[in-house]
Amino acid sequence: MKMNKTILGYVPEESPLYRIHPFVRVFFLLVVSLFPMLINAPEWNLAIIVLAIFLLKYSRVNLSTLKIYVPVSLSMGFLILLSHTVLGGIHPEFYVSFKLFGFPFYYERIVAAVDVYTRVLPMIFLTVLFLSTSRERDMLVAMRWAHVPFVVTYLVAMALRSVGMVIEDFSIVRQAEKARGFDPQGKSIAYKLRQFVMYIIPLFALALRRSDEFANAIVARGYSFTGLREVKRPDYILTQYRFRVRDGLLVAIISLSLVGVLIIRFGLGGLTLEGSLTLQWLELWLKGGAA
Amino acid sequence: MDEQQIWQVEEGETRSAGIIHIVITALLIGIGAVVGAFGSFSLPLGFGVNFFWPAIAVQNVGGIWFGAWGVIAASLFPIISNGITGTPVYVSLAYIPANLVQALLPMLAFRYFKADPRLNSKRDWIVFLASITLGNIFGALYSPLVVLKGFGLLTAESVPVFIWGWFGGNEVAGIIFGVILLKALSNVVITTNAFVKRWFA
Amino acid sequence: MSIAMRFEDYSWRYSRTSEPALKNVNLEIAAGAVVGIIGPNGSGKTSLAYSMNGLIPNQYNGIRTGAVYVLGKEVTTIPQAQLCQQVGLVFSDPEAQFTAMTVEDEVIFGMENMGLTIAQIKQRLDWVVPLTEIEPLMDKPPYEVSGGQKQRVALASVLGMRPPIMVLDEPTSMLDPMGRQRVFEVLGKLKREYQSTIIVVEHSLENLVPLADLMILVYHGEVLLVAETEPFFEQLGYLMKHDVFPPGVLEFFYQLKVAGHYPAAWPLPQSVAAGAARLRALFEEKK
Repeated sequence: MKMNKTILGYVPEESPLYRIHPFVRVFFLLVVSLFPMLINAPEWNLAIIVLAIFLLKYSRVNLSTLKIYVPVSLSMGFLILLSHTVLGGIHPEFYVSFKLFGFPFYYERIVAAVDVYTRVLPMIFLTVLFLSTSRERDMLVAMRWAHVPFVVTYLVAMALRSVGMVIEDFSIVRQAEKARGFDPQGKSIAYKLRQFVMYIIPLFALALRRSDEFANAIVARGYSFTGLREVKRPDYILTQYRFRVRDGLLVAIISLSLVGVLIIRFGLGGLTLEGSLTLQWLELWLKGGAA
Repeated sequence: MDEQQIWQVEEGETRSAGIIHIVITALLIGIGAVVGAFGSFSLPLGFGVNFFWPAIAVQNVGGIWFGAWGVIAASLFPIISNGITGTPVYVSLAYIPANLVQALLPMLAFRYFKADPRLNSKRDWIVFLASITLGNIFGALYSPLVVLKGFGLLTAESVPVFIWGWFGGNEVAGIIFGVILLKALSNVVITTNAFVKRWFA
Repeated sequence: MSIAMRFEDYSWRYSRTSEPALKNVNLEIAAGAVVGIIGPNGSGKTSLAYSMNGLIPNQYNGIRTGAVYVLGKEVTTIPQAQLCQQVGLVFSDPEAQFTAMTVEDEVIFGMENMGLTIAQIKQRLDWVVPLTEIEPLMDKPPYEVSGGQKQRVALASVLGMRPPIMVLDEPTSMLDPMGRQRVFEVLGKLKREYQSTIIVVEHSLENLVPLADLMILVYHGEVLLVAETEPFFEQLGYLMKHDVFPPGVLEFFYQLKVAGHYPAAWPLPQSVAAGAARLRALFEEKK
């Protein structure tokens, strides 16, 4: 199957996602990422995760690539739990659900930790969804379609390009060091420190040399830096992406769903932790139904 | 070239922001993102939380060598390096003030006190250490207090632990790698077209 | 015959160096000519190329004396963006000039900078893409294609701007023999079909020599020899003394000539095919 390289991996060339205009995908990320900040009810935030997984599957992304996010997701959970329990202080006013190594685990704090964690996870999933399905070019098209100044889009393009370049340089330097017997596996911190110095200096030195070459190449093709002051230029890339009625409808649906969430949250007092099924279940489990 | 000459715009010397600065900003973003996300020491826990973050040295030296362009790169590269580790876009945006100050303070201090980036004198060392420490203090206060606490990740009681951890990890990384970079490369950088004497040029 | 480029008592010294990179260069290049510039590393070839499209002095600090005229106008009086439309420059490391995410974006970058309309860009793409044979690469990242393809992409990105003068700074230094040949095939087409002025800085002469009308030897910042290709390589001893390594076929016949086995009046062949023909003629004569 032919694949397209995205920022985080690959998505099949025939992914149905490419029928959607890149601006809509950026808009989706920006708007839907707001939802977990507005929603406290864990089951609704879990629904956003399910939606993200569905969209990943719909886009034909290889879900095994998501394995790399398991450690980050777990470490976030651990960090939140640590902050809300062991490092959370002594609170006689809270209900002690159980004790572990002498530390009291308060019901109120566990509920808060679950609330925060179930808000963090969908945000991570949405970011992963966007980065696994968007090519660098999609981001540029979205920005240019939204009339972001050319110099900004060009800086972003070059920055993304240089990330790839530095990763390549980084692995070349690393291989060269390994070939000379420099292996950090199981070595001391001082050894690793020396190794890192051997990476970072060549990376900077290469960047300095490249800065001249890139600048020459850009100047030689007639680009003049005019700051944010725009010089009218054609945008050939945009001609290859049509913003269709369907894209307009999607933008409207996403916008309306944000309005809907705002109304339910602040107008009707819904989507809160207090009214959530998860809270009822936690209460039953951690408090044994005690009020 | 002495430390006065490094920062002094000579009579008749024309300096203006150009394409080379856009390019160096992009390249700094690339280095910072890679060092921040994949560095041997960087242990991304997600949400922009790292223990020992060598990329802070890229912010420090970027501001010193490339002025406002280094500050722009310092503010933007964590969005990419955090994104790679799954950090939501709004969290990355919330970190911008801390990242900005961590590059801005060394930038301002070196220009104001006319310190030599090659760290030749005791005074240069003091300017370097003081400026990055102040930047780190701001970053270490802002990030746990405003970002992590703001997004509800931390309880009030646990914030001091994170402030100290944040400060310690960044300070040690900033000093070790900042000094090595300044000592190894300043001599070359100050002779390049990309070097910035004032804010943007 | 009109003059595409003229150097008048031109010298250039980079800041922070004591020796000038170019010393008192006087040179005239006719429009429509294919010119080869040769010389050892560090002789000033790249500085000469950069002086032709204004990168020197616009992008470098240094001291410049004399003048460089492009199509009759002094380089420093032409705005850089306009100069790029008259003199296209292809660099030795194609990857160092790629700033876009796809080959297509890379090729249109220069055209967009020129302010061409979408229709004009499409028209030029239709011309330059088949010319450089990069159709299958258009959607790929330019840095992920092969070395030869990269250089053709770099060439296309400059050609698309349709400059009347093309300067190529060691365009094949990173390519295998096949890649080199394909780049020179494109240059050959440009010469035959579009009468472009092509100036090539090159170390590898096998492909350049059969194409070039004029050759220039640069050595330690000075232009030591300017001549049409045939008479230029008749002075092979002088060239080799100045660290020029000629194509094997030229050197072989030069040695035959020195040893008295090849008629002094016959020109040295510039390609293997021409060399084979000469050898056949020589054997026929000896019979």
